[in-house]
Amino acid sequence: MMLSYLRLYSPVLDRSSPPGSSAVASKTRCEYVPVRSAPPSMAPHGFGNHRGATSDFAGSRRLRFKRIGEGISLWLAVLLMLFVHPLYAEANEADNVGQLHFVDGQGQWQEPALVLDSEFDIQVSGLIADTRLLRSFRNTSDQWREGVFVFPLPEKASVYGLTMKVGERTIEGKVQPKETARRTYENAKQAGQHAANVEQQRPNLFTARVANIPPGETVSVELKYQQPVQYQAGVFELTVPTTLTPRYMPGAPVRNAPDQWQGGWALPTSEVPDAGAISPFTVTPADVADDSHRAVINLVIDSGLPLESVSSPSHRLASSQDGQTFRIRPDGGEVLMNRDFVVRWRPVAGLEPSAAVFHQSWQGEDYLMAMLVPGENGTMALPRDLVFVIDTSGSMAGESIRQARSALQAGLDTLTPRDRFNVIQFNSQTHSLFMQPEVATGNNLARARRYVDRLRADGGTEMAPALSRALESASESEDGARVRQVIFITDGAVGNEAALFRQIRQQLGKQRLFTVGIGSAPNRHFMREAARWGRGTYTAIHSPSDVDGPLQALFSAMESPVLTDIRVDWPGQETGKEFFPRRPGDLFQGEPLIHVVRGAPAMGELKVSGRLPGGKDWTRTLDLQQAAPASGLHRHWAREKIDGLEDEARVTGREPDKAGITELAVSHGLMSAYTSFVAVDSTPVRSSETPMETDNLPTLLPAGSQTGMLRYPQTATSAPLLIALGLVGLMFSLAIVLLQRRTLS
Amino acid sequence: MTKLLLLLLTSSATLLVFGLWIPLKAVIAQELLEVAWAESQARQTDSRPWPWADTWPVARLAIPELNDTMIVLADTHGESLAFGPGRLTGSEDPGGAVIIAGHRDTHFRSLKALETGNEVRLQGRDGRWQSYLVEGARVVDSRSELIDTQRLPAGTLLLVTCYPFDSVDAGGPLRYVVRASAKGKQREQIDTVAGI
Repeated sequence: MMLSYLRLYSPVLDRSSPPGSSAVASKTRCEYVPVRSAPPSMAPHGFGNHRGATSDFAGSRRLRFKRIGEGISLWLAVLLMLFVHPLYAEANEADNVGQLHFVDGQGQWQEPALVLDSEFDIQVSGLIADTRLLRSFRNTSDQWREGVFVFPLPEKASVYGLTMKVGERTIEGKVQPKETARRTYENAKQAGQHAANVEQQRPNLFTARVANIPPGETVSVELKYQQPVQYQAGVFELTVPTTLTPRYMPGAPVRNAPDQWQGGWALPTSEVPDAGAISPFTVTPADVADDSHRAVINLVIDSGLPLESVSSPSHRLASSQDGQTFRIRPDGGEVLMNRDFVVRWRPVAGLEPSAAVFHQSWQGEDYLMAMLVPGENGTMALPRDLVFVIDTSGSMAGESIRQARSALQAGLDTLTPRDRFNVIQFNSQTHSLFMQPEVATGNNLARARRYVDRLRADGGTEMAPALSRALESASESEDGARVRQVIFITDGAVGNEAALFRQIRQQLGKQRLFTVGIGSAPNRHFMREAARWGRGTYTAIHSPSDVDGPLQALFSAMESPVLTDIRVDWPGQETGKEFFPRRPGDLFQGEPLIHVVRGAPAMGELKVSGRLPGGKDWTRTLDLQQAAPASGLHRHWAREKIDGLEDEARVTGREPDKAGITELAVSHGLMSAYTSFVAVDSTPVRSSETPMETDNLPTLLPAGSQTGMLRYPQTATSAPLLIALGLVGLMFSLAIVLLQRRTLS
Repeated sequence: MTKLLLLLLTSSATLLVFGLWIPLKAVIAQELLEVAWAESQARQTDSRPWPWADTWPVARLAIPELNDTMIVLADTHGESLAFGPGRLTGSEDPGGAVIIAGHRDTHFRSLKALETGNEVRLQGRDGRWQSYLVEGARVVDSRSELIDTQRLPAGTLLLVTCYPFDSVDAGGPLRYVVRASAKGKQREQIDTVAGI
C-alpha cells in the first residue's frame, strides 16, 4: 500500500523539478524561501498565484510536513521490508529442507490432490450379494497424478471385474497373473496411457492404482465383486467394509529393505514383509477434502421371502419396499467411510428358510449350492474351562475397549460355579489374571470384574504369545468331562494373519476358539478364519448398543455344537464332482451348512448326515430338482476351491499350488493372491516430459477409535508476530510524533 | 490526525503487551509449577498448580548443556502448552517412550541448540532422574506424518516443537523433532515414522 502511495505521488515531484516550468510561481516564492531556509527543490508550485501570503505560509508548512512524512514513511516501508523479508526467506528455505518427499519443484506444498468418491450398488438375490463398486479419483491439482488407494472388501469377496472409465470411454480390464498385470500397468504408466490396476494384498485388503489422471479430471474404476450373505439364527446379514483399523506389524523392522519410499506408514518387518503395502495412512475426516472419502450405498434385497424387518446396527436406514423387493440406502445420502456398513434382514417369523438349493449352468458345467439349517436344539451342558482373551493394544483405544470390556463382563455372567475360567489380556506383553483357570466362585468373579474394569488399551498387538498362553494349558487339564473354550475378543488389527492361523491349528488340540470382533472396522478375515481354524464361530459387535444380542447368541451357541461329523453326499457318479468345503466344520446353534458343488446335476437327492450332541445320528435329504436358478455360483465355487487349496498348503506346510490357483482364477475371471486385474487405454495422453506425482490416498480412522498415530501438536505461539507488529506500529507512531514535534518547533 | 495516531499507538502497544505477555506467562507459570511439582513429589499425587488448572506437572526436564530446566505438564490440550511443555504420551510405566512437545517461542526455544550426543535428563514424580542422549533431530511435516507411538522403542524420548524457529507464522506445518534414547538403551536407529 505504501509503495503504491509513493508511486502515485512521484509524478508530482517530478513535474516540479524541471526548472522554469512555471517561472511566475518560482519568483513569487523566492521571496519567502530563503527565510524558511528550505531547499528550493522541495518547493511546490501553483499555489502562490491564487492565495494570500499568510495562507501560503501555513499551506507550505503543512505541505512540507507532508513531504517529510512521505520521506519517513518511505524509510519505514524500506525498514519494514528489510525486517519482514528475512522471515519469508527463511520460511521458504525451510520448505526445502531435505527428506521431505512432498515438496514439489517450486518449493510449494503439495495439497492432497485426489478426491475420492465411492459408490456401492449392491444387489442381493438368494444367498449371494453382487456389488458394483465405483471409485472415482478426481484430480484437483494442475499436475498429472497417479492415485494409490488401499481399501478393504468383504472377507469372502470374489472380485470378478474391473472397468476403467475416463470421460465417456470405458476400458474393460483383464485378469492376469499378478506380476504380469503389474508390469502391464507400469509400462502403460510410463508410456502415459490411462491405466488401472487392482491387486489383492490380503483376502479382504486390496490396492487400486490409477495412473495418469489428467489435471482437473476424473478417472473412475469400477469393481465387480460378489460375496455370500451371512445367515445365522434366522437373520441375514451383509457387511460393506469402508475402512480398516491400522494394523500392528509384529517382528523386527527389516533394515536392508529397499530404501525406496513405501506407500504406507509401516516398514517391512521380519514377520510382515509386505507391511508397507497394507498400512495406508489413517487420517481423521477433517484431514481430507470436504467431499472426499464419502460413499453412496444403494442396496436392493430381492430375497424371494417376505421380510419382517430390515435394520442396521451401524447406520440409520432409509428403505422402501416394492413387493418383496427392498431398496435400502443410508439415511441422509452419502456416508463417511469410517465404519463398516452392516445391514440385517429377518424373514417373517415362521418363514425362516431352513433349506435352499440353487443351480447354475456355466460353460456347460452344473453348479449347485445348498444351504441347510439343522434346526436341532441339542444342549448338553458340560462343565467348562473358559479362557477369555482380550486385546488391549493401542488399536483398541477409544470405543473399542469399552465394548470389549462390556463383552467380557457379559461373558463372566454366563459362568456357573461348575465352570473354571481365566482372563488373559495382551498388548505388547501378555498378562493373565490367574496362573491357571480358577473355579468361578463369587470371590474369583469379583476379582475378575475388577481386573476387567481396569483394562486400558495401549501398546502393540503381540497376539502369538497370548494365543499360546490361552491354548497351552490344555494338556494339563485334559479330561473328557470338561469342555475347553477360548473366547478371543479383538479387532484383529494385525499384519501376520497367516502365521497366527498356523499357530491356532497346531496348538488347538481338543479346544475351541471363538472370536468376537470389536470396533467399527475389524479385520473380518482374521476373525472368521481364526474361528474356523479354531473350530468355533465368529461374532461381530458393531456398536455399544449391539453388544447384548450377538453375545447372547454366541454364549448359547457355545454350550455345545449341534451337529458334528458332518457328511455331505451329492448324487451322481463319484468322479467329476468337486464340492467345497471338503470337510465341513461343526455347526453351532443357528448356523447353516453351506455347500457348493461342480459337476452334480440338478436332480436326485442331496443327503446330509451328522451326529447330534447326545451321540445320535442325524440325516436329512434335499430334493435337488427344486433348485432355484441363480447366478455367480461358479465364482463362489472357484473362490471356495482357491481357499481350499490355500488351506491344504497351510496344513501340509508346503507352498500353495500357485499355478493351479492362477489357472483357476483366470478361467473364472477372478482376482486371487496370484492374479490381479489391469485395464489399459490404448492411446497415450501424457507426454513423457510432463511430470506425474503419486498420491497415496489415506483411509479414514474408524469411528470411535483413538489413533495410536499421534498428530504433532501445534507448538508455536503468536508472540513473535504480535511483538513484531506491536514494535512496527510503535516505531511508526513514534516517528510521526517526532516529526510532528520537529515541524511544530 | 491525532486521533488516528492515538489509535495506532494504543493498538500497537496492546499488540506488544499481548505479545510480551506470552513469554512472560511462560516464565511466571514455570515458577508456579515449581511449587506444584515440589508438592506432587512430596505427596506423590498429581497436584494442580492453581485451582482451576486443567493440567498438572508430571516431570521435570533438564538440559545440562544449556543450563535449562523446566516442568513438564500432562497432555498438550488447551492452553497448557503456554505454561510449560506437555507430555503427549508416555506413561506411568517406566521405560516406555515419552513424547514432549513445547512452544518454539518459549520453553523449547533452546531446542535448536541441542546437538547429537547432548544429555537430556527427565525426572519423574518419584524423584529419580533418567538420562537420555540426543541421537539427532529432523524436520517433519505434521500434515503428512504422524507419530506412531506403538512402534517407538522403549526408552525413547521425542522432543517436538515448531519449525522454523524464527518464523512468525504460528500455524505452520513443520515440526522439529529431537530424538533421544535412554542411557544404556541405545539401539540401532530405526525410522519409526515414514512420510507420505
